[in-house]
Amino acid sequence: IVTSLPWGSWLIFTAMSVTTDVPDDELTIPRAAMNKMIKELLPNVRVANEARELILNCCTEFIHLLSSEANEICNQQQKKTINAEHILMSLDKLGFGDYRADAEAVLKDCKAMAAKKRRKSTRLENLGIPEEELLRQQQELFAKARQEQMLVEQQQWQMLQAQAAAAQQQQQEQQTIDDDEDYS
Amino acid sequence: MTGTETENSLDAASEEVLADGNEERESELRLPLARIKRIMKADPDLNLASQDAVFLVAKATELFIESLVQEAYQYTCQSRKKTVSRRDVDNSIEAIEALAFLDGAMD
Repeated sequence: IVTSLPWGSWLIFTAMSVTTDVPDDELTIPRAAMNKMIKELLPNVRVANEARELILNCCTEFIHLLSSEANEICNQQQKKTINAEHILMSLDKLGFGDYRADAEAVLKDCKAMAAKKRRKSTRLENLGIPEEELLRQQQELFAKARQEQMLVEQQQWQMLQAQAAAAQQQQQEQQTIDDDEDYS
Repeated sequence: MTGTETENSLDAASEEVLADGNEERESELRLPLARIKRIMKADPDLNLASQDAVFLVAKATELFIESLVQEAYQYTCQSRKKTVSRRDVDNSIEAIEALAFLDGAMD
């Protein structure tokens, strides 16, 4: 089956089968990403596969723990969406308070960069024009377009009428000439 | 997930960081947000999480990996072995109070 598929689609097929086959409750962070991190942390140190496997699974547990705790805080606050503060509070509560400073700092960096990029952007959605104003502008444009269209149609109609009138006129003149000819 | 503007901006920001080496390197996320989000959502009781929240979970997980790996390596050095073993990681889990949640949760 594989050989009958074009090479390109086979590659896509295998790439997708990696994460779409796995049931959601068996999901882990990507091994390659974790391995890259380990390599950066301990260059030139061998790490057993079993150790990697364990770390990988610990990460999944960690994510669930952190999320659950944040979810509880979120519910206690009677909010519907888990926000950044809920996560930060959870870190403190779970004994990972020393992560908090780093995490917050990175979030701030990211937002600052996002704001900077937004300022550079000229895309309509990023210009910060409120929706009501955009809507108003849109209505204006539509109204103008309708007017212009009406005008065009009116002109066309007038032209048609003029043409019809001219045609009729010509016909009458021809009729008169013919009539005259009859009598000559 | 709410805040599509923030969503686009955060994605764009991390892309920009990766592309431009002069910008803050610390903002570079190693773990993909989409995957983190999927793992979180495996819990059916979980409320929606904002983009910022998912981002923080990703960053916290990275810090977690760092801590665990460094801790395990301490044991490796102590044992005078050259390879970080599963045993080293186990010992780290037992030694750190905050990691007690992992006891018994693993094989």
